[in-house]
Amino acid sequence: MRASPPASPALAYLQLLHLADSALPIGALAHSFGLETLVSSGLLKVSDLESFLRGYLEESGMAEATFCREAFQLAINRGKHFSVERWRRLNASLSAMKPARETRSASAALGRNFLMAVSALGDFPVIRNAVEDANQPSNHQHPRVIEHSLAFGLVGGALEFREESVVVAYLHQSVASLVSACQRLLPLGQTAATQILWNLKPSIIETAKRSLSAHLDDVCCFNPLLDWGAMEHPALGTRLFIS
Amino acid sequence: MLTLDETTKQTQPATHAATRINASLNLNFEYEAATGNTALQASSQEPPLKVVRAFIVEDGSALVHVHNVSGGLLGGDQLAMSLEIGENAHVQVTTTGATRIYRSRADARPAIQRIDVRVAQNACLEYLPDPLIPFAGSRFTQRTTIHLDAGAGLFWWEVLAPGREARGELFAYDAVEMKTDIFALGSPIAIERVRVEPRLYPIASPARLGEYRYWATFYICRVGIEPGEWLALEQHLRDVARELSPAADALWGISTLPAHGIICRCLATCGRDALAGLHKLWRAAKFTLYGTEAIPPRKVN
Repeated sequence: MRASPPASPALAYLQLLHLADSALPIGALAHSFGLETLVSSGLLKVSDLESFLRGYLEESGMAEATFCREAFQLAINRGKHFSVERWRRLNASLSAMKPARETRSASAALGRNFLMAVSALGDFPVIRNAVEDANQPSNHQHPRVIEHSLAFGLVGGALEFREESVVVAYLHQSVASLVSACQRLLPLGQTAATQILWNLKPSIIETAKRSLSAHLDDVCCFNPLLDWGAMEHPALGTRLFIS
Repeated sequence: MLTLDETTKQTQPATHAATRINASLNLNFEYEAATGNTALQASSQEPPLKVVRAFIVEDGSALVHVHNVSGGLLGGDQLAMSLEIGENAHVQVTTTGATRIYRSRADARPAIQRIDVRVAQNACLEYLPDPLIPFAGSRFTQRTTIHLDAGAGLFWWEVLAPGREARGELFAYDAVEMKTDIFALGSPIAIERVRVEPRLYPIASPARLGEYRYWATFYICRVGIEPGEWLALEQHLRDVARELSPAADALWGISTLPAHGIICRCLATCGRDALAGLHKLWRAAKFTLYGTEAIPPRKVN
């Protein structure tokens, strides 16, 4: 099957909604990215959740959004001359910025699954190149990874979506995914979860705006409690989530 | 300024022509086969950074104490330190006291410290400084680049204090930025990008430090060790960490890096807990990776 880039804004909008939906079968529901440890240790409660997610957006969200933009630009600027080397470097760099092994693995699994899922929807040269590269054998000491935010940005550029929409959609699906995890970890009802996600939309937009003027070298991330949760997740006795 | 992209491409310690350095400390260490010891072969020093001499440790390592004779860093200071650890050399670097970052004048640039390190084949560097204490109104930027060759080892920790606690000064600094890149055989294995701005972004957020005050990072690397061995060490160090302070006092996170190493992270309410824990993890990791005891650097205090 061959799919053309979106012919109309309405189609592009629907396709982006589809790709940013938490129901997209890439495995996002299996990961808490350290939240499970924080909840289990009593360090995250329902009353803290909105503030926590705001801090997450200001730090990790900002970093992921900046990389998402880089991948978007890589897709639209390079066109058929997709730079595999730069793609690899971006992924290796973002991966090396994540201190927790499980977070790296989770993001790499989601990134790869996302890219494969989209590649099955049509033939997009940039995505094909990235998939071919992902299927190359890699050094076990330095395994090749595809970060989720980079895959999302690359696909957004390849499908000629609007950059701003892609970044906002990426951030929204990542926060929605964390809220969904919290619904399974905390006494958080649907109404409260919906309200939190609703309240965070201005922060999502603000984070996307900040990332617009950020240089890769300005990207910083200081979420030490979340990092701790992700680093110590393997030590939890009973686990609902992979990360 | 380097881009992250350019950073990951570089394989040699960078020269930073764009940054004006007003003081630098360059230390080159070499292994002497005849004695089995490591010696400080060459050094160039500009005040305020000073190393008096290298001491021989019982295991043949060279130990140096980096001393800032001005007592700390002022806004606008630009200090650079370069460490070259030659093949098979083993070196310990520590400080004579906490690194104090003084209040910056409103119009001053941040205090800037650059650290460039190369650890050559089968050499080992243990970098064990005292905590960094940013005073109220201070601004500090640190940029560290470390290159590890085949078989190279690294034990590298840093502890960030909340300020002058005894004065009740907590998170009253303007900004602390710490950027660290560690490369093994030219590939990035750890990229740390931290900017803490307590006045702009709440430090007590449950996504940041919560109720903890101290933050420490400890990198443990030895190039060439297989991933399975790192996983085993991760579990071992986690067991060691469990015996440290109760969670209310300190949290310890242990995780393997993408390759060739492990990162330990600590959030603590008290600096003593962080430092004591770092020493215990260092001992455990050193014994596992080298089969030798970690020897704490000799200090006046």
